[in-house]
Amino acid sequence: MKNATAKRLGHGAALNREDLARLDRFLHPVRRVPAGTDLIQRGETVSCVRLMISGLSARYKLLPDGRRSIMALLLPGDFCDLHVGVLGHMDHSVMTLAESEVVETSQSDIDGMMGAFPNIARGMRWIDMVDQSITREWLVSMGRRRADRQMAHFFCEIYHRMDMIDEVGSNSFALPMTQEELADTLGITPVHALRVLQSLRQSGMVQFQDGRISIPKLDSLETFAEFEGDYLHLGRS
Amino acid sequence: MSLYFFDIDDGEVETRDSTGQELARSEDIRWSAISVLPELAKDALPDSDKRTFRVNVRDEAGTVVYRATLTLVAEWLQ
Repeated sequence: MKNATAKRLGHGAALNREDLARLDRFLHPVRRVPAGTDLIQRGETVSCVRLMISGLSARYKLLPDGRRSIMALLLPGDFCDLHVGVLGHMDHSVMTLAESEVVETSQSDIDGMMGAFPNIARGMRWIDMVDQSITREWLVSMGRRRADRQMAHFFCEIYHRMDMIDEVGSNSFALPMTQEELADTLGITPVHALRVLQSLRQSGMVQFQDGRISIPKLDSLETFAEFEGDYLHLGRS
Repeated sequence: MSLYFFDIDDGEVETRDSTGQELARSEDIRWSAISVLPELAKDALPDSDKRTFRVNVRDEAGTVVYRATLTLVAEWLQ
C-alpha cells in the first residue's frame, strides 16, 4: 500500500518501483508526537527535515501581543521544513494540532535522494509549488472573501487535500482543530469563527462531530464558497 | 476562567451562542465583544445605509454582563 508521501509525490511525478522502495527506506524511523507540541521553532537552525506521516500540524507565528496566526496546515505527506537547510533558520514555527507521526531525516539524506531519484525530486518540487499556490489562495481568502465563504472554502480545500491521500470516508474527514485554531487559521476572532460555524451547520452544508467534518454535498458547499480547485493542481497525475 | 456566551445581532440575523468562550479577565470579554463587531460589519456591508451590529455577553447564570454596539449611518447630503 502506498503511504501518504508516495501519494502526494505521485501527483507531481510518475514514481516507479525503485522510487517507491527508496521512499519506504526514507520513511523510518517514525516518531510519535503528542498534540500541542512544537516540532520546530522560529529561529532554530537545525538541519533536520521533518515529514508528516499521520496527524495534523500547523505553521504559525506569534505576534508581540500574544495573538497567533496560522499560515498553513500540514497533513500526512507534507514536509514541515524541506528547505530549512537552504534557508539556514526557521522564520516561523510548526506545531502539532493533533497527535502526529513524524519522520526526521537529515538535509543531506534529502539532497542525496533528490539527486539520485529525479522522479522523487520532481514530486518534491511539485509539493513545494502547490504549497505556495495554497498560500496564495489563502491570501485571497483572507483579503477578499467573506468569513462564511472563507471558512467554506477552507473546508472544501481540506476535503480535496484529504481525498488526495485517501483520508476521506463517507464524505467526511478528521479535522481535530479547536475553535481558536480555526479562528487563527482564518484570521478572525474566535467569536466570529463560532458564529460562522453555526451558520454553516444550520445551512446543512457542513456537519461537525467528534473532530470530524462531514460535507454531505460537496458541490453545494463549493458553489457557496465560490471554490475553484485549480490551484490544488490535482488534474496532473 | 469562566464561560461567557456571545449572542450576536447583525441587524438581520440573531445568533444565540450555545458554546461560549473560556475567558479569565474582564478585558478579554471587552476585547472579544468589540473586536467581533468590525468583522460582522465587513461581512455585511454595504447592503444598506443604516444598520446596527450588537453583541451581548452572557455569563453562565444568564446575566448580560457586557454589551457592545456598532452603528452604521450613511446618507446622501444632496
